[in-house]
Amino acid sequence: MIVAAFGTASDGIAREMALLQQGRPAILLWHSAAPALVVPAALRRRPAVQDGVAQADRAGWPVVDRRSGGGIVPQGPCTLNLALVVPLQPGFRLEDGYHLICGALAEALARFDIPTTTGACENAFCDGKWNVLAQGRKLAGTAQRWHSGAGGPVALIHAALLMTPPAPALWPIMDRLHRAAFPDSAGLQAGAHIALTDLMGARANPHSFPGALARAAEDRLTSLTTRGHKAA
Amino acid sequence: MATEIIIPSDLWEGDEESVITAWLADDGAQVREGALIAEIMTAKVQHEICAPASGKLSILKEQDAVVAKGDVIGSIT
Repeated sequence: MIVAAFGTASDGIAREMALLQQGRPAILLWHSAAPALVVPAALRRRPAVQDGVAQADRAGWPVVDRRSGGGIVPQGPCTLNLALVVPLQPGFRLEDGYHLICGALAEALARFDIPTTTGACENAFCDGKWNVLAQGRKLAGTAQRWHSGAGGPVALIHAALLMTPPAPALWPIMDRLHRAAFPDSAGLQAGAHIALTDLMGARANPHSFPGALARAAEDRLTSLTTRGHKAA
Repeated sequence: MATEIIIPSDLWEGDEESVITAWLADDGAQVREGALIAEIMTAKVQHEICAPASGKLSILKEQDAVVAKGDVIGSIT
C-alpha cells in the first residue's frame, strides 16, 4: 500500500470528497507535504476565528477547510490520514462508523505492541468520544461525513493520526484558534497528545505502519461490504 | 403549499442534539429538489440535508441553532 503524498492538505481533502461522491467502497491513506491547519468550514466562518486564521497564516500554517465535523487538526508530514468510503447498509449507525475506523487503527497499532483505548481527551485538539488514545493521550482523532448519494447513503469516515509530534511553535497558534472557535472549552496542551514515533521509539520502523493500517482497514471494509451484499 | 424541511428521525440513534453548521442556500433562494441545502453536525458527524422539493427556501432555524430529530428547520414553497 502506498501512502498518497499530496502537496497540500486541500488536495488530500479534495481527493477524499471525490471518493465520497463516487460512492463506492474505498480506502485512502495520505499525508501532505505542506503544513496546514484544517478546520471545519463552519468554524472558519465564525468572526472570532478570523484573527487566529490570519495569525496562523503569517506563522506558516495556512488554514484550510474541510467538510466533516470536529475541530482544528494539524496537517503536514506529522499527520497520517486514513479515509474510508463506506456505502451505508440499513441499520448502520454513527457508532458503527467509529468502531470501524478505530478498530482498524487499534489492530494496526497492536501489531507494533501499542495498546490503545478510545475516548475523549481533555485539552486535545478536535476532541470527541472517538479519539484513539495511547497511554491516555490522543494519538488519533476521527470524524465522519454522511452523504446522500444517487446510489444511496454513503459515509466518509476519517482519521488523522500523529506520526511525529507537531512542532512546539504550533501549539500556541492552534490554541488561539481553538479558544476562538470554542470559547467555553479548556485550551489545548501539547502533553495531551502523543505521536507514533514517541510510542515506537527505536523498536520499529514507523514507515511500516501505514501498510499495517491499510491491511487492517481493507479487511474490515471488505468484511462489511461482503456482509452488505449477502444481506441484499 | 409549503414543504417542511425536517431533521430526519433516522439520521442517528439516541436523543443527542445537533447543530446547524451551514445553510448552503440563502433565505428566499430558489432551490431544486435533491440539492444540498444545509449541513448539520452531531457527534463529529456532518450530515447533509437536501431539499425535499423545488421552490423558494424559507429558513426557520439559523446557522448555529441547536436542533433535534424531527425539528422543522425551514420550508420550501
